[in-house]
Amino acid sequence: MKNRVHGYNLSQIGLKFPLWVMLGVLFMTIGFATRFPAVTFDNNPENMLADDEPVRLRHEEVKEQFALYDFVVVGVVNEGPEGVWNPETLQRVDHLTQQLLSLRQENGKPVVDDFDLQLAPQGKRAQLLAAAFKQNPERLFQADGSSAIIKEELIAPSVVDTLHQLESGMLDIRFLMQNVPQTQAEADALFAEAIGNPLYRNTMVSEDRKALGIYIPLSEKTYSYNVSTLVEALTAEWPEEDQVYITGLPVAEDTFGVEMLVQMATSAPLAGVMIFLLLLFFFKRPTLIVAPMVVAIVSVICTMGLLIGLGYDVHIMSSMIAIFLMPIAVADSVHILSEFYDTWPQIREKRATIEKVMNHLFMPMLFTSLTTMAGFASLALTPIPPVKVFGMHVAFGVGLAWILSVVMIPAYIMLFVSEKSLNSKSQPKQNASGKHHDVLGSFLKRLGSISVNHYKSVLGVMVILLGFAFWGISKIQVNDNPVLWFTPSHRIRESDRVLNGHFGGTYTAYLTLAASAKDAHPSPATEMTLVYPELTTGPQENTWSAWREWARAEDDQSQQQWDPLLDILDRLDIDTLTGSTLTDAITRSGALPEKIKAQALAMVSASEDLRGEDLWGEMQDQIDQALGFRWENAVTQVQAEAEAPAFKRPDVLAWVEKLQDSLSSGPSVGKSTSVVDALKKTSYELQRDGNDEDFDLYYQSPASVQAAGQFYIQLSQMKKKDSLYHLVTPDYEQANLWLQLRSGDNQKMQDAVNEVESFVAENPPPIDLKIDWAGLTYINVVWQEKMVGGMLEALAGSFVVVVVMMIVLFRSVIFGVLSMLPLLLTISLTYGLIGWVGKDYDMPVAVLSSLTLGMSIDFAIHFLQRARELVRQQGSWQEVWPHMFAEPAKAISRNAIVIAVGFTPLLLAPLMPYKTVGFLLATIMFVSWLATLVLLASLLSAFQGFLFKSNSKETSS
Amino acid sequence: MKIHIPFYMILLTTCSIMLADEPLTGDAVAEMAEQAAYYAGKDGKSDVHMVITDANGQERIREFRVLRLNGEDNKQMFFVYFNEPADVREMAYLVHKQGGGAEDDRWLWLPAISKVNRIAPGDKRTSFVGSDFVYEDISGRSLNEDQHELLPGEAEYYVIRNTPKDLSKVDFASYDVWVRKDNFLPVKAEYVDEEGKVVRRVTADKIEVIDGIPTVTQSTVEDLRRESKTVNTFRNVAYNIGLNERLFSERYLKRPPREATR
Repeated sequence: MKNRVHGYNLSQIGLKFPLWVMLGVLFMTIGFATRFPAVTFDNNPENMLADDEPVRLRHEEVKEQFALYDFVVVGVVNEGPEGVWNPETLQRVDHLTQQLLSLRQENGKPVVDDFDLQLAPQGKRAQLLAAAFKQNPERLFQADGSSAIIKEELIAPSVVDTLHQLESGMLDIRFLMQNVPQTQAEADALFAEAIGNPLYRNTMVSEDRKALGIYIPLSEKTYSYNVSTLVEALTAEWPEEDQVYITGLPVAEDTFGVEMLVQMATSAPLAGVMIFLLLLFFFKRPTLIVAPMVVAIVSVICTMGLLIGLGYDVHIMSSMIAIFLMPIAVADSVHILSEFYDTWPQIREKRATIEKVMNHLFMPMLFTSLTTMAGFASLALTPIPPVKVFGMHVAFGVGLAWILSVVMIPAYIMLFVSEKSLNSKSQPKQNASGKHHDVLGSFLKRLGSISVNHYKSVLGVMVILLGFAFWGISKIQVNDNPVLWFTPSHRIRESDRVLNGHFGGTYTAYLTLAASAKDAHPSPATEMTLVYPELTTGPQENTWSAWREWARAEDDQSQQQWDPLLDILDRLDIDTLTGSTLTDAITRSGALPEKIKAQALAMVSASEDLRGEDLWGEMQDQIDQALGFRWENAVTQVQAEAEAPAFKRPDVLAWVEKLQDSLSSGPSVGKSTSVVDALKKTSYELQRDGNDEDFDLYYQSPASVQAAGQFYIQLSQMKKKDSLYHLVTPDYEQANLWLQLRSGDNQKMQDAVNEVESFVAENPPPIDLKIDWAGLTYINVVWQEKMVGGMLEALAGSFVVVVVMMIVLFRSVIFGVLSMLPLLLTISLTYGLIGWVGKDYDMPVAVLSSLTLGMSIDFAIHFLQRARELVRQQGSWQEVWPHMFAEPAKAISRNAIVIAVGFTPLLLAPLMPYKTVGFLLATIMFVSWLATLVLLASLLSAFQGFLFKSNSKETSS
Repeated sequence: MKIHIPFYMILLTTCSIMLADEPLTGDAVAEMAEQAAYYAGKDGKSDVHMVITDANGQERIREFRVLRLNGEDNKQMFFVYFNEPADVREMAYLVHKQGGGAEDDRWLWLPAISKVNRIAPGDKRTSFVGSDFVYEDISGRSLNEDQHELLPGEAEYYVIRNTPKDLSKVDFASYDVWVRKDNFLPVKAEYVDEEGKVVRRVTADKIEVIDGIPTVTQSTVEDLRRESKTVNTFRNVAYNIGLNERLFSERYLKRPPREATR
């Protein structure tokens, strides 16, 4: 009874000071609306995780360490017999490459060579949208004015380098497509070379010749939509046979962001129109239904104003605030209007009618709003910042809508609805809607009688359904893929299909391997005696530099003995050199030790036939041989092996190769690129000499530390010397494997992670390696994991809150629990359906779970509250249920339809998450409406004795 | 012609005479600077200690010995024998520079695979052993490839603007070189891009007179785009040590002569 006074008072404000209330609402709305111009948008799904989330920090660290950038992937596909490897297409690809490289700013406008660039949006609507959402397609430059495209890191045939052995045997370092082929034969040769390079095969070049990939690295991924627009503009005039596809996670994410805003600008107003039409259909009085529309619009404006005013970005989640809020915001008003309209004929006085309606509805409305708020607010328990912001703001909006409904609706009716119009229109309206009510009414009546009279069967069916639901839930696949956020016919999806069919995959993940801090090396002396057990001397100080010093001295000593002979060879005229002049000189030399002299003379006599340069050379060779072993080389070699960093060690490199083989034979990774690929290619090009078995012999991971070191030096002086350091750090202690996945499915990424884990478990690396992941595809997996866990927590949290609220509301544990049952059934059936249909449990689905709870309990509250009230008045459930299935059931049905239909504009969206939300919410409304009426009626019938006995006890006490 | 590795020098007297006679042209200064920087003495040797510092501050060390012998008409032969890091010890380059803009002959010996590879003539602006020096810095850029314009000078320096005749072969638009008036050593070169921004700078940090020849003993190249730099320190510099032309053959790639090991 006390509660009613509260509601009574609140509504009294609206009844007593309607003008002030309306003015207050107006000023508040204007106040919040003034925040709008400060709006900022955030398209970055990475922000699903907090800035300081370890995986994001690691991702940035890896990008920094290996100088990696996010890519826009441009695929050129030609289905002709020669594929893209024909002079014309290659010419176009080269031209595009040069144009991209020439991107610069002139008078604040982007300019490229040989092209009249028009990027500004054409058409009024596009311009308006661009202005409203602060989209500027000409934003292609960093703060310092330099191009958003990292030009020196562009991957395209004209600008990637190659180390290649020419037919002459000479080593050639040049750009892969240094010159554009002029004939088909040249194009074929270029293809052969490109496909032979493991760095480019299936990344830039497809094995079927049909496709060529250009990877455009960006200073920041937020440029990707604009860069893809730029590429589209540059290739718009290309002939039909050269199809251009643009893909990559950054483009997908950025495009989604842009389209999301357009979506927001269309579907929210559309939802408003839908709701208006429905209300018009139910109530037939435009003046009356303007009120709920005002409630909805005011709540949306104030909530968005608050969000912007608090400095939050409009993110994928918060863009859905308007569309979530509108149907919910009108719900309370619909209840009030519904009752008002039903009560009016009995009282025919506005103020008294409103007071009566409010007495009826205040408590259920308060609780339905509170539970809805609890459902949304529970999202604050998730570890995902944009979801938190979304949840809290919708909760705020729902609260505001409730206050507006309770205060402003009465004020509105007092001010704007004349009693005359109510009287005059009530008659025809009653008739007009009579038919409709009859249809709905008789249906509800049948529903009620089935539920009550056949409660056993109904409950049985429910239990079976629940069983199927749980079975379905157990089949749920947790998965997300930003590319699948687009409809199948979307250009992004098409590009994704085409390019991932040709290449190793356009989804990037980085697998980093880092050597753990090294144990102290054994001392140089220990290492040396290990290799040269016969060694008995050595330097005093046991350091490598001392050992080198010592070795040099040793070598000098043995060399010195031969110096006089070398001096002789230097002194004598080589052209006239003969055996006898040489023998003469040696014999006369006083500096040569006797032993060496004898050896030298023997050398000369062995080369008697030679003279001049030949003799000179032969003598040098002989001396080399006699000198033989050099300690300095020996020490250096031992030192090199002892000190070798991880990724110069042949065993580690071989292990990486094995890991790659294992990954490429698995299902999830399309291609992996590591420094071992670069080393193998280098090894082959340096050593092959035109034999068939060359490839098997030389296309191998380096066999020694020295070979690795020397190949690395070659790789570090390629035309693009930085390329090497994308794969290994300059200290060779850390390596980066670039994995290409054919699908952006989080599951595929997870599979790759699992494959690596099981490989490492079965094949432990030769040294301790820290294995880590980065890359956008991987980041998505991490936030997905957080989301699933977070949503479960949120669901549990809001469940507890709502149960407590229900117990308080009904002052009864049993009714509190009872009220939860329809929504439990709803959630189970909905998610069971998701499991059965095979729809992935992705971000939108997860977010829906906890707010479903807050929304679908509403029907149960209204139903049970009303049922108890009627039972209290009339005595027994048996008498009451036909009444329940009249007006109360109708009000609940209207509400369910309004909300469900209010979300349907989302079904028209070109973006899948919105479609999903639209479809699921409509389903949830339908199921929870049915569950409330049928399940609760059956349960009340089954347990009426027990339930209402306790009720009457309670009232009597 | 830039500073780079200044193995050589010309006789100052020659310059002085020329100075007295007529005003110098850009071509003349460029030529004398080339002589000073690359052709000092009849032959020479030097130990180079190279420290490469990348944008993240990581350092890499290289050590190599250079043996050089001048020939006629600006021909030149040189060896580069590596000593550090330990795993590339004995790796060696042999270059026969043809002078007059003709392509150099280059050979590479990789001891780990016991193979000599001949290097095809090609781009000379690729990195030298992963440093910020390019091959051209080591061997000298042919004077014929640029137009040399003498800019209004500074008190102690001639400033020459060098504009490549073929821009497609280079990664810059032009470069200015500061040449000391007293000894014709180039001491600074700045490479600019199309927008006039300096993208690369080479400086001679220390100059010592060795065997009577002004010699750069430390030089630095900064890559301002990559934010990396390389510092070369020259030790054990000696001129006119009597190197034999026959040393500069493939044989001594594989097994350095005693001149290279001492």
